[in-house]
Amino acid sequence: MQDFRTLKLLDRFERVFNSFGVDYKIMRKILQVKLTMDGRRVPTIFSQNAKKKDQESNNQYLKSLWIYVIFGLFTIPFVLMGENYLFQMSLFFGIFTFFVMTSMISDFSSVLLDIRDRNILFPKPVNRKTISTAKLVHVAIYLSFLTIALVSIPLIVGLVKNGLLFFLVSALNIILIDLLIIGLTALIYLFILRFFDGEKLKDIINYVQIGLSLMIMVGYQLLIRSFQFIDLSVSLEPQWWQVFIFPMWFGANMEMIMHGSYQPFYLLFTALGILIPLLSIGIYMKFNDAFEQNLQKLTYHGKAKENKKGKLRQMFLKVICHTKEERAYFRFASSMMKNERDFKLKVYPSLGFSIVIPFIFIMNGYNTNFNELSTSKSYLTIYFSLIIIPTIMILLKYSGKYKGAWIYRVAPIQQLNPIFSGTIKAFIFKLYLPVYLLLSIVFIALFGVKVMPDLVIVFINAIIYAVICFMVLKKSIPFSESIDQYNQNSNAGIIFGLMLFVALFAGLHYVSTLFSYGIYLYMVIAIICLAALWKQAFNITWTKLMG
Amino acid sequence: MKMMEEVIVEITDLKKNYGSKSVLNGVSLQVKKGEIIGYIGPNGAGKSTTVKIILGIEENYFGEIKLFGHDISDGNIDYKKKIGYVPEIAEVYDNLTGQEYLTFIGELYGLDLDLADYKAKSLMELFGVGEVYYSRIASYSKGMRQKLLIISSLLHNPELLFFDEPINGLDANSVMIFKEIMSQLSEQGKTIFYSSHIMDVVEKISSRIILLHDGKIAADGTFEELKQQNTKGSLEQIFNQLTGFNEHRELGSRFVSVVKEM
Repeated sequence: MQDFRTLKLLDRFERVFNSFGVDYKIMRKILQVKLTMDGRRVPTIFSQNAKKKDQESNNQYLKSLWIYVIFGLFTIPFVLMGENYLFQMSLFFGIFTFFVMTSMISDFSSVLLDIRDRNILFPKPVNRKTISTAKLVHVAIYLSFLTIALVSIPLIVGLVKNGLLFFLVSALNIILIDLLIIGLTALIYLFILRFFDGEKLKDIINYVQIGLSLMIMVGYQLLIRSFQFIDLSVSLEPQWWQVFIFPMWFGANMEMIMHGSYQPFYLLFTALGILIPLLSIGIYMKFNDAFEQNLQKLTYHGKAKENKKGKLRQMFLKVICHTKEERAYFRFASSMMKNERDFKLKVYPSLGFSIVIPFIFIMNGYNTNFNELSTSKSYLTIYFSLIIIPTIMILLKYSGKYKGAWIYRVAPIQQLNPIFSGTIKAFIFKLYLPVYLLLSIVFIALFGVKVMPDLVIVFINAIIYAVICFMVLKKSIPFSESIDQYNQNSNAGIIFGLMLFVALFAGLHYVSTLFSYGIYLYMVIAIICLAALWKQAFNITWTKLMG
Repeated sequence: MKMMEEVIVEITDLKKNYGSKSVLNGVSLQVKKGEIIGYIGPNGAGKSTTVKIILGIEENYFGEIKLFGHDISDGNIDYKKKIGYVPEIAEVYDNLTGQEYLTFIGELYGLDLDLADYKAKSLMELFGVGEVYYSRIASYSKGMRQKLLIISSLLHNPELLFFDEPINGLDANSVMIFKEIMSQLSEQGKTIFYSSHIMDVVEKISSRIILLHDGKIAADGTFEELKQQNTKGSLEQIFNQLTGFNEHRELGSRFVSVVKEM
């Protein structure tokens, strides 16, 4: 275990901690262990392409900070824009809050919600205050890294442009926001745990992580474009509801101090901006015991409700899966996709991305004239939603619980055929179709009902594409390999090759639209191709799988 | 106890090695219908490996294994339908709910969804864990997990059962239920392989004990027979004698003396 520079820095405050009744030496030991463990964890922001490495002393989290530095750069214009501090600094603090809050929930939840502390440290002769302070300091260390990465460059730019006062007030505001976020996150957790059990909370955290990943994927595409839409001359008139937008509290005090306009409105906001963060931290400290108590619920689980099997759903399942075995694998695969958080974290952001990407291309083509759009053939951009299929087809063989796969060997499985066809059907109908339907509704709204046959063809092509991907890619039993093995880059070549098929589908589709009834001919051909491929694709034996 | 003379398991000269390290050095045994075999041995003796080979989880062995009169190496895996298995280390897809997992396992063994669901639910309720049937397995306690595994091994009414430390984590009452289940299953003519390190339980429930040591069978017979051969009182002592272990007193005192150092 190495010694951390951060801890050496912290050593200077040894007296302060001791005077609060904290056993500093013990706290330092706890922190050292925790920082070492963190070095072996991969943050959400990297989870899209990182493969866990067994490298000691290499904190993945610190490496991920450069992404935040880049996002920080995007906020520089808000500092430079003008002197409308209320507006621009509110936006600046708003963006800052968004990143810190989501990162807090996705990456520090494990710290805040660590119940191992209770089981491992509580029985030892360590006082409670030391343990809870260690937890707070642990979060604070990371939060300060994150904060420095995000705001240091924009603030230095602000220092140069707007002077020292600006810099100092902003820095103070940032610290207050950090405090507010720690307090707020802990209180949100406290609130959720009060009413729900741990599984629910883990689900909520999972969805925040998915949201963060998606925002970052989409953010790359949209951030630069978004500056065109921002009107620099916006002037904000004070409104009562703005009290609830807390980044504005901090924007208001900037406005007040920089322009010296001490209106009651600004004074109120400034007061809120100072009081609420301190209050929330105070409440967190006060309820820390209650929080720790409720954390126990993470391991306790109430009676879950029986989920009724709908008649309609059963009928639907009978239609799409003909054999009993196939239905079993379909149900298994759909519950795995629904329940497995690791899988969701890797797949759902891509699914969300596949909704957004067609529109990015449409927007690129038609910045000005929206009328032209409905008569154009831009609806073919919906083919971009297919590009996520190879990645997900690869991911289907991975699972965080891959060790459960021993049952495949123990059970009397004669034919592998239904395992694969059931799983692929589950992917198509449970993951892809909902996304595709959503896209279709928007497309019908944009392009009119006349594109419906085209949308049907695209869906058939999507299924063909999934089958082709399955045939080309290396086959494994679904959910049977460790998800940590997943490495996006190793498959980049194959995925790129597979993308060419999408181009082919779209190209043929375009050609078919040039003739009258061309698309109907294309549809018939596509269905025949699908039927033929489907017959061939799943003839796989155990020996083929092993070899 | 009525003994039917049908041979269920017949292993002849089974050998297995991982690279240069040999795990099984010629194991031969015959198990008849309705027997409860206490399959014991020190850590690393090859107990789990034997079971895994029989179940088809491990391959590349030497020797012959016949189950229900058929050689298992012929590629026909129908015999697996008649086997239930509780592994020692319970790896399950624990992000599923109990219902989702158990019905899936039932369906893998050819049960209808509704029947699997009904049986799984009833068995969970009888085992006192009915209230978590619809909860994620990840949230189960150790005992609940173990009960789920036991149930998953019995859903398809198998003829031959392999239990590897099945009562791990069960409370005393549940252990009593489980012992009762085992003896009733055996009366119904089910054959049970029971591996455990808890010698008192093995001593009480087994109709025959097989002791594996260094990949070979070191003893085979009823508890009474083993007692006569080895002049020792309990199975634990017989175990120590047969595996050539008699240093426990000395090791214990050395351990304590290190503990005392401050």
